[in-house]
Amino acid sequence: MNNLSLKAWRSTVSCGPNLRQCVPRISGAGSRRAQCRESSTGVATCPHLADSEEASAPRIHSTSEWQNALPYNQIPGPKPIPILGNTWRLMPIIGQYTISDVAKISSLLHDRYGRIVRFGGLIGRPDLLFIYDADEIEKCYRSEGPTPFRPSMPSLVKYKSVVRKDFFGDLGGVVGVHGEPWREFRSRVQKPVLQLSTIRRYLQPLEVITEDFLVRCENLLDENQELPEDFDNEIHKWSLECIGRVALDTRLGCLESNLKPDSEPQQIIDAAKYALRNVATLELKAPYWRYFPTPLWTRYVKNMNFFVGVCMKYIQSATERLKTQDPSLRAGEPSLVEKVILSQKDEKIATIMALDLILVGIDTISMAVCSMLYQLATRPVDQQKVHEELKRLLPDPNTPLTIPLLDQMHHLKGFIKEVFRMYSTVIGNGRTLMEDSVICGYQVPKGVQAVFPTIVTGNMEEYVTDAATFRPERWLKPQHGGTPGKLHPFASLPYGYGARMCLGRRFADLEMQILLAKLLRNYKLEYNHKPLDYAVTFMYAPDGPLRFKMTRV
Amino acid sequence: MFCLLLRRSAVHNSCKLISKQIAKPAFYTPHNALHTTIPRRHGEFEWQDPKSTDEIVNITYVDKDGKRTKVQGKVGDNVLYLAHRHGIEMEGACEASLACTTCHVYVQHDYLQKLKEAEEQEDDLLDMAPFLRENSRLGCQILLDKSMEGMELELPKATRNFYVDGHKPKPH
Repeated sequence: MNNLSLKAWRSTVSCGPNLRQCVPRISGAGSRRAQCRESSTGVATCPHLADSEEASAPRIHSTSEWQNALPYNQIPGPKPIPILGNTWRLMPIIGQYTISDVAKISSLLHDRYGRIVRFGGLIGRPDLLFIYDADEIEKCYRSEGPTPFRPSMPSLVKYKSVVRKDFFGDLGGVVGVHGEPWREFRSRVQKPVLQLSTIRRYLQPLEVITEDFLVRCENLLDENQELPEDFDNEIHKWSLECIGRVALDTRLGCLESNLKPDSEPQQIIDAAKYALRNVATLELKAPYWRYFPTPLWTRYVKNMNFFVGVCMKYIQSATERLKTQDPSLRAGEPSLVEKVILSQKDEKIATIMALDLILVGIDTISMAVCSMLYQLATRPVDQQKVHEELKRLLPDPNTPLTIPLLDQMHHLKGFIKEVFRMYSTVIGNGRTLMEDSVICGYQVPKGVQAVFPTIVTGNMEEYVTDAATFRPERWLKPQHGGTPGKLHPFASLPYGYGARMCLGRRFADLEMQILLAKLLRNYKLEYNHKPLDYAVTFMYAPDGPLRFKMTRV
Repeated sequence: MFCLLLRRSAVHNSCKLISKQIAKPAFYTPHNALHTTIPRRHGEFEWQDPKSTDEIVNITYVDKDGKRTKVQGKVGDNVLYLAHRHGIEMEGACEASLACTTCHVYVQHDYLQKLKEAEEQEDDLLDMAPFLRENSRLGCQILLDKSMEGMELELPKATRNFYVDGHKPKPH
């Protein structure tokens, strides 16, 4: 969930100001450029790193590995043209690469230049270094220090650190925050969020939401048993309802029918939709808000304020509930929100955590689900296998799901992993290098943004046997009918790895597993229209009306 | 090298499956179904000394150079945080939130079956651990109990495996 999608390809991404240190400096274009200095290796580095350890040469410089490596400027890549650099190449229309092609760009760069590609000369920002070598990607992940630096979401960073500094202060949350402030915040929330005992607690509540969703789907079917053109909106509502249950401890009511335009659920749906549709434009097509408040930026801020308001309201009522409730009556595992409030004694932390979970958890999960359902509907043989597995595990369709049952759904999970491998919803992940390193035999200075294009590496024959074939069985253990073959553990990494792995990963997996299990146990999904293309809007997902035919089996 | 690792991991998994089938009935026992919250704090618990001799569990850490450190732990201690208390170089970058493999250990074979079986999430991560063996586990997922008295935990040659100059990662 916390992964970088085309954010990595954005020509205008900032190097993610450290909230505490850089706040006064990020106000305008001039100062931004001033932050980035040219180092001796001729690469613009991140302002962040300027403060630290200038004095002695890094230890790695004395190793033979470094001394035998080729210099940085010999890494192949598109040549920057004078003055404009390479930024123009990512500009819509003018450039040779348009934004909607972003996933293809990455593939093109690989075909043209090989396993490491330097995308330099980007105005006012560090070079992008595309790495198409799973062993080198592994090395980068493994050698990251205690505070991995993951550049992302400049609009959110500006909102938190400048516009609403009054509210966020030093608590930036986890998205777009780096260094110690990031580690401190992550450390406060990561255990409850990733802990398996918390996740288990949400199986039943999320199953109820999914059942409501399926009832709603049935009601939406037309005379041909087909779902409406805007079915993706319904998926967004489902994921919004799920994330509300997890992050805010409440049923938001987004799945009700006939919502009034001024009702809270409808407003939340609209705000989420707005965020989804416009953040891409804001971050990619029209980044002028960095310099002056554009109307789009003003609406974005209003929209964000609304989300903050919603989070505050529900977290406050959760705190109230905790205060008034007799602790001896508290049965079983506390909820995520309760765990965070009880352990941190600070409802603001719970509020900011909820905000981050909601902002990154709605569109990522729902776009992934759109992709999963489309693949299921167009792959009847694989769908049948999952259905048979579910029928075997749940002979009675009304059996409630349990964790042990989910644990045995090997085909279902293999299917999810295979969709992620071939059609990765996030097209890549990235890290700003915190130390000079040798990558693919080149000396790479710190401050460069390494990009790991999982959508490309997951489809490389070098790392995955028969990579062009969709085969969920490759993920299964031999005793569950798995097929042997190569599968590099770092080739397809939809959630990243290590200390900065996607914070919402376990919830994302759980939500998708529940939805597919409930759906495919009882229904058959078909798609009888013109095949859809995959496109990058913000995530990589099928582009077009998802008019699935849904029939009970 | 990776093919090797993958093959090993397949062996690792089939070994596990076999032991699973021998050791356990197909259905989940109530013990497994009723998961209680495991105390996974930031290691404060591991800094408390055992309150009675009944609680004591002695284990030995063997570091990558073969140096053995005997440690007195207690029932419920997380072996990652216990290692931190005693200055043993087990990193744990993700603070036991199951996101990395830097607390990878080899469990002495006789004790392997005494451990709670690895969750799928731990297994998935183990597949990504360097120098994987069939007795590999993540230290952060091992909580001591009386049956583990005398257990030896061996640290792999490296958990990040790319430090070129003897740099020692500090736990945090």
